[in-house]
Amino acid sequence: METKTRKTAREIIESYDGAPIRIMEVCGTHTHEIFRLGLRNILPKNVELISGPGCPVCVTPVSFIDEARMLVLEKGVTVCSFGDLIRVPGTHGNLADARAEGGKVQIVYAPMDAVDYARENPEEQVVFLSVGFETTTPACCLAVDQARKQGITNFSLLTANKTMPSAYRALKDSVDVYLYPGHVNAITGTKLCEDLAKEEGISGVVAGFTARELLTALAAAILYHQKGEPFFFNAYPRVVTPEGSVNARKMMDQYMEDYDCEWRGLGVIPQSGRRLRSEYGEYDARIKYNLPPMEGRENKACRCGEVLQGKCLPVDCPCFGKACTPQHPVGACMVSNEGACSAYYQYGGNLL
Amino acid sequence: MCVGLSARVVKVQDGMALVDAGGARREISAQMLSELEPGDYVMVHAGIAIAKITAEDEEETDELMEELF
Amino acid sequence: MTKTVTLAHGAGGRQTSELIDEVFKAHFANPDLTADDAAVLMPPVGKMAMSTDGFIVSPAFFPGGNIGKLSICGTVNDLACMGAKPLYLSCAFVIEEGYPMEKLEEIAAAMEKTAKEAGVRIVSGDTKVAGKGQVDGVFITTTGIGEILPGIATSGEAARPGDAIIVTGDIGRHGCTVLLERENFGIETDITSDCAPLWGTVEAVLNATKDVHVIRDATRGGVGTVLYEVAEQSRAGIQLDSSAIPVDDQVRGVCGMLGLEPLYLACEGRMVIMAPKDRAEKILAVLKTCPYSSDAAIIGEVTEEHPGKVVLTTEIGTKTILAQPGGEMLPRIC
Repeated sequence: METKTRKTAREIIESYDGAPIRIMEVCGTHTHEIFRLGLRNILPKNVELISGPGCPVCVTPVSFIDEARMLVLEKGVTVCSFGDLIRVPGTHGNLADARAEGGKVQIVYAPMDAVDYARENPEEQVVFLSVGFETTTPACCLAVDQARKQGITNFSLLTANKTMPSAYRALKDSVDVYLYPGHVNAITGTKLCEDLAKEEGISGVVAGFTARELLTALAAAILYHQKGEPFFFNAYPRVVTPEGSVNARKMMDQYMEDYDCEWRGLGVIPQSGRRLRSEYGEYDARIKYNLPPMEGRENKACRCGEVLQGKCLPVDCPCFGKACTPQHPVGACMVSNEGACSAYYQYGGNLL
Repeated sequence: MCVGLSARVVKVQDGMALVDAGGARREISAQMLSELEPGDYVMVHAGIAIAKITAEDEEETDELMEELF
Repeated sequence: MTKTVTLAHGAGGRQTSELIDEVFKAHFANPDLTADDAAVLMPPVGKMAMSTDGFIVSPAFFPGGNIGKLSICGTVNDLACMGAKPLYLSCAFVIEEGYPMEKLEEIAAAMEKTAKEAGVRIVSGDTKVAGKGQVDGVFITTTGIGEILPGIATSGEAARPGDAIIVTGDIGRHGCTVLLERENFGIETDITSDCAPLWGTVEAVLNATKDVHVIRDATRGGVGTVLYEVAEQSRAGIQLDSSAIPVDDQVRGVCGMLGLEPLYLACEGRMVIMAPKDRAEKILAVLKTCPYSSDAAIIGEVTEEHPGKVVLTTEIGTKTILAQPGGEMLPRIC
């Protein structure tokens, strides 16, 4: 029977002995799961996995943390945030330090919870740290939508939202195949990635997050790449549809617009950021609290930028494992559990 | 970038859905999806349902492997 | 008596005596409880163990227990880890001015009940009242003395390659319970803390075999932290089978939502036991008959390879190192 002779996804990966392939997993949760599942340990030598810039925490610039700290420490604002951001270093410290200095920093699970907090604490001014890519941005916009509908005036966003496509283009020379972030595509659909293959020669596979899904996506990347043509393949169809979530995109477009935006370590990428439209200025913390423009200072020795571009491995950075550890992160990639440096420190620095 | 959790929809009301993951329950927004009914499975991220799930990963990957050959 | 604790209750006068008599003595009364400056006790026959622990849990009341129960379990379990039968406890309270007397009473009642179950006597105590805002409600410190059973020498340094690793129940329930109570994540569960006094459990195991190398209670930092500590102390590797680790479905659900690792959630009623493999089944059988360890499981073994590391066999049979957490457990979106 033919099914008997067919190779499994894992066998396809393990037995690959063709030309070297560079696969970039763009999504930080992919990086995390790939390490958690020990997948790097089964890759043949000629398959290189590069951890890309898909962790919203890691690409959030130093100045954003400085702004958040100013809100907490100087403007007396209660900042609500995803837990991930709390230990990201700013120029003079992180948000955990700001909390230790007496500032109010509240960890929330969802942006909407920050709206609830604002409603329940009308005497406080509440700012939600709005980070994230297309997956998370709808939830941030929904929070503003809820605040408007409920007439809540003590709530606003400090935005650092980003979109992925310009990053795919910016990094295309470092990569042969992208593992596209499944949950971004759940919102955006797949047309854009199909076009990238057709029109710009950028190849990629949409990947899910379970062991089976990641193995299947990697096998697909290897098989298609061998054919030599640019390609697109959706290996996460149970969640990702071609059209994605129309409602979510509508919500994002209603409240936010594109702008040229700084990525930590990568510099400014044109039209890669999302901020509130001017008509919603009352929900924009930068306007509401009249924040001055800030220029954050990164640690000079830190090579997070090159790590994010796949130009060097975390272990090539002089700070890695010395000045920079998950307990005392210097660069953003060490902060988030899914940051490439953190993942390397925890699993990769001592690969089995 | 995005921790997602698959959860079963228990109740849908006024654009909100109560979802259940192994018995842990939370209200999330159902506004990003057009049709949602109790019993559906959804992918949840940061308090919103970002997609309806149409299959188990096993079934999905088996079918994909067929397609790859 | 007044409805709340006042600074006068800590001033050493009549009101202090009233608080001690009506709340603490009423619950802790036993022949060894001192009315003098120090308890006068008979020393144990053999070796003794002594341990102290401070408790500042927030919130002080949570599903499955409160800070009072916790303050007894914590110290009793620390003694039990050394194979010591808990004999005596002291307890020191720091109470915030304005704390409801009723709550304090409830805490004392939980301590009485738990101490009784653990077979330990509270012999000495102290009460201080701090000004409003100087402490958060109630802080308790307990110190315990126990008598080590003859022939027992458990230690984090004693793990040996070939030892089986047993956990006495599903992990992470206390940490999960307290996290959900403290933070407003909007997640509803029926999870209760695993907080429990475990001397009875440990005694049952040690009666079945004295050949036990390590007993550790997996409190702050959870089972994962204990395993790393033992790997380090014993200069041995720890090999875990991820599918064998018992985790409640709801705890798993919460961890999925918040991006947390159950191995790093605190337990307050779970022991990690390491003993030669040929004793493991017997230990497991005993554990399954005890009240707090019916879900006990063998989750891995101590190895010569990878000293100092905890290695997991994943659901697809690959091996990977268990990541060590960086600081405070934070829910994440990415």
